This record gives sequence, structure tokens and C-alpha cells, in this order.
Amino acid sequence: MADALHTLSAAELGRRLAAGSLTSRDLCEALIARYQVINDKVGAFTHLDQADVLAQAAASDVRRKAGQGRGPLEGIPVAIKDNIAVKGQPLTCSSKMLASLVSPYDSHVAERLRAAGAILYGRLNMDEFAMGSSTENSAIRKTFNPWDLARIPGGSSGGSAAALAAGLVPLSLGSDTGGSIRQPASHCGVVGLKPTYGLISRFGLVAFASSLDQIGPMARSIEDCELLLNALASADARDMTCFGPSDRALTPAGDAKKLRIGIPKGFLGKGVAPEVAAAVNAAIEFYRAQGCAISEVELPSADLAVPTYYVVATAEASSNLGRYDGVRYGHRSASAGTPVEMMTASRSEGFGPEVKRRILLGTFVLSAGYADAYYVRALRARAKIRAEYLAALAGVDVLLTPTVPTPAFKVGEKASDPLQLYLEDIFTIPANLAGLPAISVPCGKSGHLPVGFHLVGAPLSEAKLLAAGRLFEAAHGFAHQQATL
Amino acid sequence: MAEGFDIDHLAKLARLSLTAEEKALYSSQLNQILGHFQALADADLPATIDDARVVNEDALRSDEPGLVLGAEAVTRIAPASRDGQISVPRVVDDES
Repeated sequence: MADALHTLSAAELGRRLAAGSLTSRDLCEALIARYQVINDKVGAFTHLDQADVLAQAAASDVRRKAGQGRGPLEGIPVAIKDNIAVKGQPLTCSSKMLASLVSPYDSHVAERLRAAGAILYGRLNMDEFAMGSSTENSAIRKTFNPWDLARIPGGSSGGSAAALAAGLVPLSLGSDTGGSIRQPASHCGVVGLKPTYGLISRFGLVAFASSLDQIGPMARSIEDCELLLNALASADARDMTCFGPSDRALTPAGDAKKLRIGIPKGFLGKGVAPEVAAAVNAAIEFYRAQGCAISEVELPSADLAVPTYYVVATAEASSNLGRYDGVRYGHRSASAGTPVEMMTASRSEGFGPEVKRRILLGTFVLSAGYADAYYVRALRARAKIRAEYLAALAGVDVLLTPTVPTPAFKVGEKASDPLQLYLEDIFTIPANLAGLPAISVPCGKSGHLPVGFHLVGAPLSEAKLLAAGRLFEAAHGFAHQQATL
Repeated sequence: MAEGFDIDHLAKLARLSLTAEEKALYSSQLNQILGHFQALADADLPATIDDARVVNEDALRSDEPGLVLGAEAVTRIAPASRDGQISVPRVVDDES
């Protein structure tokens, strides 16, 4: 049995742990053994403190034996994107700027995982400061798609998705500012959910664009994704935007076969690869055959989403990343003279090219004489996009599109063309702009490469998204799939 | 929309020191990206941005002081510290 533990779902592992047929220590030892063989090929993890993992697992086993198990995640490893703080572990954001930073505190989600008995299992690679769609912007290492090691895993939570698809861990956390959970989930054939803005606390998530950022669960099945979501969602006074499920109830799922599904007009046309369109159309026909009402909806301002996002996100990033000045933490240049020279040299040495590009862009759109033309107009466009999505979702339960227009591309293929890379997020960005929950569900392959479809719902309709995903997953063979490595 | 783009001024505002190659590359790429933003200039947009707000300002918690991280934890992650305080290059010259 031990050699197959990496193929099991978190839910099944939980059942075996509860039944006493498996210990957390045995599970973690098996995963560490796989990590030692696989991680250098895939590059999903940037750090794994094996002794700490085994100590956590032993403590979990003691708790369970004493009848003090903490819940369904007791003893189950959860790997964490390297922009989410875990006390005593590196917090590099895959940047030279934070290369030596060890977090002095726990994020809210780390507290929640500890309270649930989970094993906080290693740090996952990402695009530097979550800026990117391929994980090629990591200053630490490259991550490769487990389904084809010549291709990107997506990003920015590329490590989180690749670790799941490679069977390195059963559950992972990502963060999503414009698609950074859902796009890599689609490219790696796993499930990724971006919750409603405010459902999960951002306390301890290194800020990129605060009005868009959300932490979310990633897993190899809908059931596992839901398990992790339930552990994370909780009100937290340290994030003023976090209300948690206790303050505003999640919408009940209802019967998934009665869902009304809206297909945005034109979203399956221009720019979508034929194999992606075919897989998504097959999913639509599946839902129709199940009895779901399928209708076309209009989202007339959809073309504004990418420019709106890149104005808002870079504006917020240029402000948020102003804190990296070489004074309190992070890289400090050795060549510093005056304080201003120290700040400038520290930032220039510490930030990579994509981060510099976005800081410059964000600085420009906020600068005197241009803020009205760019930033304020982007906020007005954001209001329009949100209004159109909410209007569409008044008539249907979910909107269904591809998650990404094309399958995973080859490493380096788009590295010199940032605009092309920005268009990877064309279907995922609006959910962030509008604060809506959205999920990517595996739905097929383009050749050997996974394809996902994307569902967006009204605020707090996570249960509906999961129910729709569960209906699809139950009828197809995509749950728990892993690449052969 | 992109007229008046000045990479030197932007770099100064952003506290970034760029090489000549970086200036040429970023100027070219930012102009391309800003060209894509033209859709925003041409769009018919609402006058209000109220619907774009994600923060409920009533949600502010009371402003109460409390210990978050102690001095020891803060100075441990600082690039340089001395006597429990973070040290930086001299800000004010000695008076002569």
C-alpha cells in the first residue's frame, strides 16, 4: 500500500488515518521519499524541512492516538505557496528580494491549518511576487509541467499545481490575483478555486494587488478542494475585507442538475484553441444532457477586462512593493551610500524583470497627469464589468468558459512577450475584478496536455461551483489524475 | 494615451536604477502594453466607481495598540541591527 499513498485523495487518506490503518508519519515518509526522486524533475517545491514535517506528523499521530484529533485534515500534508507566511519557514515569494527571509509569524490560513491538524508541508515555487502566468519569473528555480516537462505549469501558483499533478502532496494552497490558482490548475489537470473576495483572510499573504488577491484551495478532486476550503474560510479581524462564512452564509448548492448555466457570447471563438473549445463544448453538452438549462449571456465589456486588470493590479503593486526598501527586512544592497541610494540599489538588485516592469507600469498609471486617464478610468471600467457580471448572474447560476484559451505552452515560448502572456488570463481576470468565486475543473486533454473549464458564480456561491464540478467529475475520469513521471 | 512616457522619470519615482538596455526594453514593452490600454480610453464608462469598491469602510476595527511582533523578532529579520534597533545609513550629517 505504501508505494501508492501519493495517488490517494486527501479524503481517502483521512479515512485511513481515522481508521488507524495509516499513520501521518508513514504518509509523510512516503511523500518525502517521492519528493527526493521527483522534485528535481518538476521543481514544484523550493523548500521542504523534512525533519519538521516528520515532527509535525509524529505530533499528529500522538494527538489522534489520545483521541484529540482536530478534524478531517488531521495528519494530512498541505503544501503552501511561498507568498503565504508560516512561522519559522522561508517566505521568499521566489524573489531575491526576500531570499533570506524566514517568517516570524503565521498567516491566518496557517493558523487555520494548524488548528485543523494539517501538516504544513513545504514551500511551493511561484512567479516572483505572484507576477506571471508560467512560474518562469521565479528567481529560485524553474517549475515544469508534470504532463510534459518541456512545458510551463502555468502560474503564478505553478508550484502548487505541479506538486499535485506530480503526486508530491495531496493538497496545496495558492493565491489568485488574476487567475493564478485557476490557470495553473487548468494546465496541470487539477482543481483550483478562487473564493469570493473576503471569504478567506489575506492576513499573512504577501500583498501584490490587495483589492484582487485571494488565497484559495487546490486539489486533485472537488471533494478535496471543498475539504480544504472549509478549513480555511473563517472571519479574521486582521483583514478588514474578510467577513468569513460565519458573517454571510454560503448559498446552498441545491441540485446540480437544475443549475442554470450561462455561456458568455463569443468566449469560445477567437483565440481559443480548437481542442480547448472541443473539450469545453463537450462539458456544456454534458450539463445539458443532465438537465441543466444552458443559455447564452452577454458580457459586452469583456474586452476591457485585461487592460482594466493590468492598470489596477500594477497600480496596487507599485504601492504595495514600495515597502521593499532594504530597511526593515529583505535585501539590502552592500553598495549603499545615502539612504535613498540604498533603497534604489536594494530594489534594483532585489527585484526581477517582470516585477520591475509592473512597478514601472503601475507607477506610470498613478503618476500626476496620467492617473485620471488610466487608473480612474480603470476603476470605472471595473465597476462596469462587475455590474455586467452581477446582471448576468441574476439570470443564471454559473457562467461557463474555458479557463485558459490554449494548453500549456513550451518553456521560454512567451518569455519575451509580456503582453501575450498577460492574455493567458483573459477568462480568469473578471472574477477578480468583480470579487466573484470561480473554479477550474479538469475536463479533458489536448493531446497529452490537460484542459480545464471555468465556472464563475455570484458572491458566496462556492457551494454551487463545487456541486457543478462534482456532477461533472463523477461522470468523467479526471479526478485524482496524475502525470506519469 | 501614452504620450509623455519618460522612463528616467518613472524609474526615479519607482526608486529603480535601470541600465541603458533595461530602459530601452522597458520603454518598448510599456509602450506596447499602454497601446493595449487604448480600449479603456475609447470605452463608454459609468461616471461612478462605487461599484468597484471592495472595501466596506464600516468594517474598520477599533484602533487599539498591541504587541504584534517583539523587537527581537523584528530585528532578527532586519538586514542590519544594533542594540535592539534597525540600523540604516546615516540620514543626517554631523553638524560641524
